[in-house]
Amino acid sequence: MSRYRLDPQPGEVIDRSKTVSFTWNGRRYEGFEGDTIASALAANGVRVLSRSFKYHRRRGLLTATYHDPNAMVQVGDEPNVRAAHQVLNEGMEVSAQNVWPSLSLDLKAVNQLVSPFLSPGFYYKTFMAPRALWPWYQRVLGRFAAGGVVNPEHHSAEYDHRYAHPDVLVAGGGPAGMAAAIAAAESGASVILVEEEPALGGHLRFGDDGDLQALANLRAAIEAQTAIEVMTDAVVAGRYDHNWVSVVQRDMAHVEERLVLARAKHLIVAAGTLERPYVFKGNDLPGVMLSTAARRLTNLYAVKPGDKAVVLTANQSGDAAVADLERAGVEIAAVLDARNGETVVEASGRKGVQTVVDSSGKRTDADLLVTAIGWTTSTALLNMAGDRPVYESRAARFLSSSLPLNVLATGGLVGDGTTDQLIEHGSAVGRAAARRAKTVKATWQGATSHAAPGEIPTLDVDDHPELFRSTTHGFVDYSEDVTSKDLLAAAEEGYDSIELAKRYTTAGMGPIQGKVEAVNALAVHGEAIGASLLETSTTTWRPPYAPIRLGTLAGRNREPLRHSPIQPWHERHNAKPLVAGQWIRPDHYGDPEAEVRAVRSGVGIIDVSPLGKIDLRGTDVPRLLEFVYVNKWSKLQVGKVRYGVMCAEDGVIMDDGVTGRLGHDRYMMSTTSGGAGGVWNWLDDWLQTSFPEWDVKMTAVTDGYASINVAGPNSRELVGRLTEIDLDADRFGYMEVRTGTVAGVTDCFLWRIGFTGELSYEIHVPAGYGLWLWENLIEFGDDLGVTAFGVEAQRIMRLEKGHFIVGQDTDGLTQGFGVGIDWAIKMDKPDFAGKPELAWQKERGGYPRLVAVQTDDPTVVPPEASQIIDASEKIKGRITSSRHSPTLERSICLAQVEEGLAQGGQRLNIRLPDGTTVAATVMADQAHFDPEGTRLRV
Amino acid sequence: MTRRPRFSAWKLITHGLSRSPWPKVWEQHELASTYDVVIVGGGVHGLATAYYLARNHGITNVAVVEKSYIGSGGSGRNTAIVRSNYLTVEGSRFYDRSVKLYERLASDLNFNVMFEQRGHMTLAHSDSSLRTMRWRAEVNKLQGIDSAVISPAEIKELAPFLDTSDHPRYPILGALWHPPGGIVRHDAVVWGYARAAAALGVHIHQETELVGIDVKSDRVVGVQTSRGPISTSTVINCTAGWSSLIAAMAGVSLPITTRPLQAAVTEPVKLFLHPVIVSGSLHTYVSQTVRGELVFGATVDPFTSYATRGTLEFTTDLAGHMLELMPAIGNMRLLRQWAGLCDMTPDYGPIIGPTAVDGFYVDVGWGTYGFKAGPVAGESVAAMIADGKPGDLIGPFGLDRFERGTLTAEKGAAAVGH
Repeated sequence: MSRYRLDPQPGEVIDRSKTVSFTWNGRRYEGFEGDTIASALAANGVRVLSRSFKYHRRRGLLTATYHDPNAMVQVGDEPNVRAAHQVLNEGMEVSAQNVWPSLSLDLKAVNQLVSPFLSPGFYYKTFMAPRALWPWYQRVLGRFAAGGVVNPEHHSAEYDHRYAHPDVLVAGGGPAGMAAAIAAAESGASVILVEEEPALGGHLRFGDDGDLQALANLRAAIEAQTAIEVMTDAVVAGRYDHNWVSVVQRDMAHVEERLVLARAKHLIVAAGTLERPYVFKGNDLPGVMLSTAARRLTNLYAVKPGDKAVVLTANQSGDAAVADLERAGVEIAAVLDARNGETVVEASGRKGVQTVVDSSGKRTDADLLVTAIGWTTSTALLNMAGDRPVYESRAARFLSSSLPLNVLATGGLVGDGTTDQLIEHGSAVGRAAARRAKTVKATWQGATSHAAPGEIPTLDVDDHPELFRSTTHGFVDYSEDVTSKDLLAAAEEGYDSIELAKRYTTAGMGPIQGKVEAVNALAVHGEAIGASLLETSTTTWRPPYAPIRLGTLAGRNREPLRHSPIQPWHERHNAKPLVAGQWIRPDHYGDPEAEVRAVRSGVGIIDVSPLGKIDLRGTDVPRLLEFVYVNKWSKLQVGKVRYGVMCAEDGVIMDDGVTGRLGHDRYMMSTTSGGAGGVWNWLDDWLQTSFPEWDVKMTAVTDGYASINVAGPNSRELVGRLTEIDLDADRFGYMEVRTGTVAGVTDCFLWRIGFTGELSYEIHVPAGYGLWLWENLIEFGDDLGVTAFGVEAQRIMRLEKGHFIVGQDTDGLTQGFGVGIDWAIKMDKPDFAGKPELAWQKERGGYPRLVAVQTDDPTVVPPEASQIIDASEKIKGRITSSRHSPTLERSICLAQVEEGLAQGGQRLNIRLPDGTTVAATVMADQAHFDPEGTRLRV
Repeated sequence: MTRRPRFSAWKLITHGLSRSPWPKVWEQHELASTYDVVIVGGGVHGLATAYYLARNHGITNVAVVEKSYIGSGGSGRNTAIVRSNYLTVEGSRFYDRSVKLYERLASDLNFNVMFEQRGHMTLAHSDSSLRTMRWRAEVNKLQGIDSAVISPAEIKELAPFLDTSDHPRYPILGALWHPPGGIVRHDAVVWGYARAAAALGVHIHQETELVGIDVKSDRVVGVQTSRGPISTSTVINCTAGWSSLIAAMAGVSLPITTRPLQAAVTEPVKLFLHPVIVSGSLHTYVSQTVRGELVFGATVDPFTSYATRGTLEFTTDLAGHMLELMPAIGNMRLLRQWAGLCDMTPDYGPIIGPTAVDGFYVDVGWGTYGFKAGPVAGESVAAMIADGKPGDLIGPFGLDRFERGTLTAEKGAAAVGH
């Protein structure tokens, strides 16, 4: 056993029967189960854990907690692992990060020599000339980025999310938090108790025998309570509106980490205090550590933190550290009592502390300097709950000032006391929280106060001297290498508010976010501007309290992927998939042009299930349709279908589709596939905000029906083989709808429409029968040569017909009158969405038009987005859709062009992406094929 | 006028050797009783306007009043992305001017704003967005702006951490690549303008809140601040978040709704991501700062609010989308989240120009684009004050367009993200 490992300690958490081996910078070491990476290294005499960000100074343990700014390491693939928190696992490969070439010999430490020139914000003052060198400067600066390395081949392990609804959630498992959890559970509340460290207890864990006994009692009481769920090695990361609380559970057995999303009826914040470092020359040398760090090492991990110590103490924690160190066999070279005005002026040494100079000028040789000069309150969760903590000079720390009714604080956030007093306070808070949780509904509904008078006892504060900086300068922010001198210089330079000074010096921006140092920064800045800022400031913290892995936040990927029920058939027939928003659809089955020819000459079927479908019922449906569509709907007869276009309030086309009247008060609206959700919201918005009295019931049935379009001259023949519905052209005409049974499936509806330009029936069948109907169509159409066609063939055919696609041939600016549907826009309607803007559009004129275009050379298909330009290369329009037409055997396009170019016969120049220009002509009609629509009406 | 102290590597060395203090970046002044121009808002727009008023037009009796510290609003909360590959001719010209100004800002201001033109990549995850990328590229090319659609293989070359395979839920089909785009140190832009404006005589009043605008016979005659009144004939509203409330002080109604936009940053790691990556379909964008942090942003929240708190859902959605794009970064940690306020206009275009109140001008409604437009907006607004009328670049963005129905073309452009 190493000479740094002590004999068994009463509160130790290591299991000496289980050795764990790991590597540190490639060298093999051993620790015990229960060790953290940092304690195992300390037990092996390793004192230097990292190099600092800017000056690459050697750094060792400071706080020995998750929030230790000096203990970030790389573990295998993972950067920025907290070595003082992460429990050692067998085979861990641990290495120092941000060192070059190695931790012991870091050449970037040369920065220390030029530190006078690296004053805060130095980079804002240089690297400006010559400008040509700036990219090179950038690369140099980039080499100094902090942190570890991400492996591009890293594969995220499993992460999980869990939802919880506790009556009371307690953040912090120290004595006050544990007592609060117990009391809340005893009062009948369900409780989640969250503790950041691997075990409950807070400072009791590394306390004296009395503390350990109290802890044992509390733990026993918690174990006896089934209503308490304990989460250790877990942290409350954020508190959002209405007590929406995020908890990260680390080191889980089956998943890497888990994010618990809890809606707590009541939140108790018992996050306690963090010990605050002291600012003096050499305060970052390895061997300078906080009293709680020294006590953790000694009492929890049985590691001797040094051989010869100087202790600076202003409180019981420092006094206790003296006792613990003595017991551990550390020679106490000097105790400096800050309560008597003694202090440290400087620590010096080459690779760690060797000499300590105190305020009397006395030099003491020591390899360990322990400081206990005060506390910082963990107010982050309080801030997130709307508290503005106030500085209490008597206690030399911030304390909670005001909280919403569903949050209470206990422990060090409120005051000080003996363990018994903390337990008493925590218990009272726990009982109050349970009581309030029961009346939580009333509280949320705006009741003023449910706090019974006197239900929360006060917790007094202990007097504590205000100690922030000695007479010398030292590091204020360890992560960012910001010194007190830097902060003073920033203020002197004019960055004279704490916010500007922090931003300028980057104090508080590192991975620890200034958790242990922020108050020191505030105090030092106050010195600079000659006013105590503490009294006039508050602390603000944004979530998360502790950093959260992206994997944990993401959880499992639950992004929905939508397939039509006919997908198995598509897959069997080698459909090429097309990602269309949430849907995956068949783009084609091998040869889209052949699919077009099959439809135009015989019959084809396409799966159009993703089409948005909204079932509308009620006597006021016609009023809704009149309002959201630009055309007229009030006279739509039962059995009829009409095409409609919707515009937003700015007159821009938002969606189109057909709506049919299936019964007296029953309508079915179809939308574009991508627009389904948006149209649903749009209708709902109007109904809820403007027309709440209308009798309209909406149901989204997109997934409820599978939809198949049967298109081509033989479609009537094919559909007729599967249904009793009378398909006779005179009795079931173009733009009509029928309901009935198809292929034995009841409750179908089918409408006769023609996006492809052919006679076609769109059959909507309850989704469970989609595949059945599809296979029936294939089987019964075999002799007719029925062909499955995909989205690509449909797009070609609609382009041949000149039908526009919303979002492709229109854009975020295309208003109703720009696409050749003037006939449909009924400005004589009293009102409809977008009408005022459309009136302006018409009055103003000068807007682009959608036109059909043919290139002079029929073999050239200008890629979509090719620009239409004039002789001076000014943009006059663009190609919005283009294809080779297998029907016409030539190139066909739709284009948006300026008004002056929109007349048929107009000549155009199209600039292709490759830089060449081709000539083209605007067609008289938007349809390239069958402009009269005779093929539809057979 | 104060002599402007120069920053340079040489000065850095001499100061380092002599340990002499640096001169103040800007002085604090008493509030004067009269200014020629009062600019409301000490962000990049207000400070740039002040600077260009002084430098280009010799108008130096100018006060910038800021209710908090300079850069405390949107200027300090944005994700500092600069680009000019807009969809419309007007938009791309306007922002192209801004990029040009950013390119020489460090030398203009003698303050290194650290504009890193690492390239700006907008990913396409569907054939419709790929089509929009092509459209933007073609428009950009004709404006002389470096912009092109690139293939997944080229994307992988430029950003190896992106998953360009066909496995992801939203596979990367291509991208719009815009080499001049990049990131800038947003605080430095604010401080650089402030320092340069102050050196030309502009008074920057921090912790000075505007509480009223005095209007007599439809003319501005002065303002009331938390530190006292100022008489002036010209007030420019360069605020975001509260722009409509400030305009209301002058009796001017703005068609603006305010929505939060959230952002977040990770812990630093060694640099692995060079360009700025944007995914419109996944509503997110990311860049890595020279310090090593990933900076993430999103679209505006779907509700109006003045709250600058972040939400948990933003972080969970963001992380999910980020891991879609870069599966290897699952164990990087999100460090901090925040929100800024975006003033949204009906057509997503800004509102710049005079109002019905003589002497009251607005430079507001910048939505999610305010930061990148800072220099060109400042330059244009300053010219408008000096010339008495809006110039060509900002002509289409007047407040009266909402009454005339001549909305601008920005909405289409805005639909495609940062």
